[in-house]
Amino acid sequence: MADLQKLYDAVLNGDQKSAVSITKEALDEGCDPMELITKYMVPAMDEVGRRFECEEYFVPELLLSARAMKGALELLRPLLAASGAQPAGRVVIGTVKGDLHDIGKNLVASMLEGGGFEVIDLGADVAPERFIEAVQEKKADIVALSALLTVTMPAMRRTIEAFEKAGIRDRVKVMVGGAPVTPQFAREIGADGYGENATAAVALARQFVQAAHP
Amino acid sequence: MKLTLRPIPGRRLAEQLREAGVEFPCGGEGICGGCRVRVVSGQIPASGPMRLLLTEAELREGWRLACMAEAAGPVTVEVEQWSARVLTDETGTAVEPRRGRGVAIDLGTTTLVAQRVHLETGEIEAVETALNAQARFGADVMSRIQYELRHPGELTRVIREQLGAMLRRLAAGQPLAEVLLAGNTAMHHLFCGLDVTPLAGVPFLSPHSGARRFPPEQMPWRAPTLFLPCLGGFVGSDLLAGVVATRLDRKPDQQGLFDIGTNGEIVVASRKGLRCASTAAGPAFEGGRIRHGMRACEGAIDAVHIENGRLAAHVIGEAAPRGICGSGLVDAAAKALDLGLLLPNGRLIQNPLPLADGVELTQSDIRQLQLAKGAMAAGLKMLAREASRLRLAGAFGNYLHLGSARRIGLLPEDVEVEPAGNAALRGVRMLLLQPSSREERIGRILAMTEHVELAADPAFQDLFAESMRLEPFRFR
Ligand code: B12
Ligand code: FES
Repeated sequence: MADLQKLYDAVLNGDQKSAVSITKEALDEGCDPMELITKYMVPAMDEVGRRFECEEYFVPELLLSARAMKGALELLRPLLAASGAQPAGRVVIGTVKGDLHDIGKNLVASMLEGGGFEVIDLGADVAPERFIEAVQEKKADIVALSALLTVTMPAMRRTIEAFEKAGIRDRVKVMVGGAPVTPQFAREIGADGYGENATAAVALARQFVQAAHP
Repeated sequence: MKLTLRPIPGRRLAEQLREAGVEFPCGGEGICGGCRVRVVSGQIPASGPMRLLLTEAELREGWRLACMAEAAGPVTVEVEQWSARVLTDETGTAVEPRRGRGVAIDLGTTTLVAQRVHLETGEIEAVETALNAQARFGADVMSRIQYELRHPGELTRVIREQLGAMLRRLAAGQPLAEVLLAGNTAMHHLFCGLDVTPLAGVPFLSPHSGARRFPPEQMPWRAPTLFLPCLGGFVGSDLLAGVVATRLDRKPDQQGLFDIGTNGEIVVASRKGLRCASTAAGPAFEGGRIRHGMRACEGAIDAVHIENGRLAAHVIGEAAPRGICGSGLVDAAAKALDLGLLLPNGRLIQNPLPLADGVELTQSDIRQLQLAKGAMAAGLKMLAREASRLRLAGAFGNYLHLGSARRIGLLPEDVEVEPAGNAALRGVRMLLLQPSSREERIGRILAMTEHVELAADPAFQDLFAESMRLEPFRFR
């Protein structure tokens, strides 16, 4: 029997090799992929988020845990798709136009995946039209916008305005974040939420989904 | 050349001397003696390191180390470097004598230095320094760019007016033959009155970053003026001048020039030419976003030692501690690592960690330091891995304690590192003194330089994460 507690530990400690090998072993033994995710990986990522929140973990630890989780998830994803399992929600994420900083955005994306969301990552320097296309094509519930430069914060506003013009603003919840972004700014540009860090992003996304399907 | 300085509350005399352009070859450690000045009037007490490096006779004649200088009242000193410079400069940097006086200016985001130079002898005759008056519109280049976008032309007016007043004092009623300036890309655009929009978004490349010439009637100082061209991207003419001063363009032997600040700029020479890049660190090295962070002035902890197994802080001006500056922060982290109070992953065993009366280090301060030094070290690893020698330009690089910088993994352990003083100012002066070969040399440097965009490289994220660890690293 695969010791599944070790999967939890591997993700928590950012040990990608073990995470992958335990997942393989568990699948060979016929474990339910959904159970691996909800019972071990999501709680592990929640604990990673908690440690980050109380400053015990920092960016490198977060990146390692995210990598361990991703390694395991890659094995599980095809099985999930085949079984028709539904994710907690669909999030389109990207760094806004003019900005190439993507490390914070990558962390948010990983934590959301670790939180059970399907994440469509558009990368960095993403124009409003590409966000709109992705929302329509993937039927996303949530859009997450990241900006690290004061000079690219206005691009967040322009992206939300473009959503309005395209008539999709009511269909998605928009959250914004990144070092220079403030809750005030988020309110000003009409975003639905602001997250200070990757953990807050997961909490926010869960809140959005719950409000939509109480 | 004589220099008169009045004490400014909160600043050490050593700092004023450095800003006036006195170079500290050993980074102001008090071990090389290369920063000698002779007191002509006033008092600079002879401290311990001075007694070690200078003979009794020299001390009696008034010789002191500029890097250790403190004074309670106004002093006038003779700067040995400056009178000797023209004679002792490396070959190929000789003066091409011409009539009149010129001015060399290092236009920094924070500080300005202007030197009046005798164009026949190369001697520096007078110096003016000041804090950049644009600073009240934003501390870093990004906020200045943003201000300029909202109030076009205002920052250009501010800087030209300020330099105008400085140059009026420098010229002392005599005409100036030529004025040469260098500065980072944002300072270049803001001085020249160029559109900064390209600097405010991807790909952060401006089509107007070349040399700019202004006829006398366009400048308040009524002299032909030249702002030197940027090297590429956010790497400005301060680095171009640094290349001239350190002769990186003439010695293709794997040397690097590194300017550490809110932005880190790196230039590396190899047989294939020069490669340059900028890496954004954030304000931690200037005390920004640090709980008790402050600039390096009186009351700032600028060094931390271990005494009897405990941290002991040195405060600038031997005053009561008010906060901690960049070099103190790097020191504090290094010594805390040595004592096991801080782990290589950045965890503080005791949070907050007291450093001195009322000054402490918090977990989040360490995190800011990790981001800043991680970005710097990652940039170095991407660009300078082949380098066997690194020269540090800029103020922070000259005050940083190299042992601590290596201990926390900001600089590589296996590469010779040496402060280069105000290399930008020296380079501008050298170009001012060699008018006929100037254009050709600048053209050649630009042609041999390639600008590398670090953000475009997917390897950056991994190197950045790895470089956030507080532990020594090696290139080879
Ligand atoms: C790494 C870095 C770079 C790297 C980027 C590599 C990459 N692929 O991302 C490089 C070296 C390439 C770079 C380049 C530049 N940079 Co830079 N960079 C940084 C640095 C050091 C760290 C940023 C980072 O990755 N932090 C770690 C991550 C994990 O944190 P984070 O991004 O804040 O994300 C967290 C939260 O904000 C939140 N979050 C983020 N996004 C979102 C989204 C949502 C929806 C939510 C809810 C939450 C959320 O969650 C994340 C995790 O908890 C900062 C300085 C600093 N100390 O912060 C400067 C900084 C951001 N850069 C800056 C600048 C100016 C630049 C340049 C323009 C200049 C230059 N030096 O060349 C270029 C432009 C690049 C470009 N074309 O966009 C400035 C911005 C200043 C300003 N006022 O706008 C900063 C602040 C440094 C400074 N003061 O000079 N940079
Ligand atoms: S003794 Fe080296 S700089 Fe002063």
